[in-house]
Amino acid sequence: MRLLLIEDDAILGEGLRDFLRTEAHLVDWCRSLQDARALQDEPFDALLVDWQLPDGSGLEWLKARRARGDHTVAIMLTARDLLADRITGLDAGADDYVIKPFEPEELCARLRAIVRRSAGTPSGRLQFGDVEIDLAAHQAWLQGQATDLTAREWAVLEALGLRAGRIVSKTDLERLTVSLDTQVNSNALEVHISSLRRKLGRSLIDTVRGLGYRLGGEL
Amino acid sequence: MRLAQSDTAPLPSMGARLLRTLLVWSVVLTVTLSAAVWWTVNSEVEELLDETLQAAAEVLSVPLAVGSVVAPNAPEKSIDTASSQPVSSPASAPDKRFVWQVVRHAQSGGVRSGLTGAQVLASSVGAPSAPLHATLTLGLSSAAQWRVYGMALPSEPRELHDRQDARTLYVAQASTERREAQLEVTLAAALACIAALLLAQVWLRTSMRKELAPLHTLAKRLTQLDALHPSPLGRAQRRELQPVHDALDALGQRLERRVANERAFSGHAAHALRTPLAGIQTQLAVALREAPPALTGRLQKIRAASDRLQRVVTALLALFRSGVDLKPQSLTLPEWLRRLPIDGLSLNFDASTDQPLQADPDLLAAALINLLDNALRHGARQVTVSMPAPQILRLHDDGTGCSAEQREALQSAMHTQSYEGSTGLGLMLADIVARAHGGQVTLPAVGTGFAVEIRLVGRF
Repeated sequence: MRLLLIEDDAILGEGLRDFLRTEAHLVDWCRSLQDARALQDEPFDALLVDWQLPDGSGLEWLKARRARGDHTVAIMLTARDLLADRITGLDAGADDYVIKPFEPEELCARLRAIVRRSAGTPSGRLQFGDVEIDLAAHQAWLQGQATDLTAREWAVLEALGLRAGRIVSKTDLERLTVSLDTQVNSNALEVHISSLRRKLGRSLIDTVRGLGYRLGGEL
Repeated sequence: MRLAQSDTAPLPSMGARLLRTLLVWSVVLTVTLSAAVWWTVNSEVEELLDETLQAAAEVLSVPLAVGSVVAPNAPEKSIDTASSQPVSSPASAPDKRFVWQVVRHAQSGGVRSGLTGAQVLASSVGAPSAPLHATLTLGLSSAAQWRVYGMALPSEPRELHDRQDARTLYVAQASTERREAQLEVTLAAALACIAALLLAQVWLRTSMRKELAPLHTLAKRLTQLDALHPSPLGRAQRRELQPVHDALDALGQRLERRVANERAFSGHAAHALRTPLAGIQTQLAVALREAPPALTGRLQKIRAASDRLQRVVTALLALFRSGVDLKPQSLTLPEWLRRLPIDGLSLNFDASTDQPLQADPDLLAAALINLLDNALRHGARQVTVSMPAPQILRLHDDGTGCSAEQREALQSAMHTQSYEGSTGLGLMLADIVARAHGGQVTLPAVGTGFAVEIRLVGRF
């Protein structure tokens, strides 16, 4: 998943970014709202937002995003633990509210659960013919046989799996699978799609000419 | 805080003290007034009786003057004043409270007339046989048991040349009769004063109760006042209470500002403490994944210490906020307690825990996490959770426990809220949280391990 982390504390932000990367997520870390606003056109699978930031309120930033019709999954990360704060945070559009300090493992579990539920696959398991994908376990099977996927291939499969049945443009798919601080070749996406088709079958990913890619055919 | 014995003694009552003062002054005033009334009335009665005596003498003098002439040396003759006998029995006095005598006193030329001393010429029934006065005494005087008015009777023409025949009329009233009248007056005055005194006491008590009622109203309003958002008391019912209202309103405003400041500080402190802790936790999680196996054990110990630090910080923040708003919820203990981050302890739930518990989940969680942490540090592996009565939560662990003396010392420290001793953060926080809910913590005696009862019974 591609995640936007907005956290001003250097130790926490860096630690969380690194931990999320060990969980095979792509993380863009911003330390201020100004930096986050520069990425407002970038697609993300989830937002991890601190409430109190040096240049404003993360909650207000999220509310503004929701007002623009953005439905990206959002989790508030905050030290404010009062019941009233939790209610305010959730009412402002956050999908979950995690109070600092937290166990990063728990944060990741919550993140996966919310994203799966948002994608309409609460169990995290997708079945397309003889291909089975477990988004929680980061594993895919063809005819019951586990396949070895590279991190980049899994990122592409996961991005499509979370949007199964929907067309994802090539641009969005590239953005969802590559963080800003990573340099990739212009035809890298085609290479990964091709590789996935080779490992999981050609019919798994459709190419919708001029529009993008779709996992599992039209639903 | 330990209360001195004098603090537990009944307080003196302003009303009772004021009533006592008023009562003493009422008695003094009543006695003084009674004495003044008694003296005045007695004087007036004395004067009135004297005037009556004089008037009676003047009335009697006319018939006695024109009535029978009593010959000198004639035997004494009595006249019944109650009858209407002529001359020798002149018009009698209105009743027998008065007696009269017509007395001839010997003059300086008494030898010629053959008369010595005084001779009673005539008298009313009940009058003494001896003259009331041995010597001529005119006007008002006292004699033995009598009050006497003496007046000279006009002489007959034949007597005019003989001044030695001059007669004196004495009208007298018994002193006992006068004392009786004065006593009646005194008693009437005293009874009237006592009745007035009793009525004054009843009135004073009623007035006192009525005037002190605003104090009770004020106390009731203060009891119901929201300590966090106190509404102004406003105008008092009595002028004397207005300074108290003003002072309490000012105090309420100061408290409100203080609470607002503490809340703001609590928020900042929470952020300042929790964020670095989250950073430590996250960095440790990454380090545990990246570190060589040789370092994993040490990193795990650091993480355990960090977990404990996290619990302490959470407890301290909860402690700081324990005087703030309570947000009670209905909790199902088994489901709720299993979510608390306590590793290494097995929780067993008694069937009684199926009943809901009304409590602020954040405050109770902070208290329980620290109590369970204490249990863990004292060698416990299992904790039995039960609810012996509604709103009473009991934790009984299988740890090393403590001696009866230690338990009693801890109980006493919590009873008096003397937390500076050896209660530790866990018990102190649990007691403060229980008190915020209107209850308190007790430490029941158990055979093995250690038991804590958190009573959350006051407010719900």
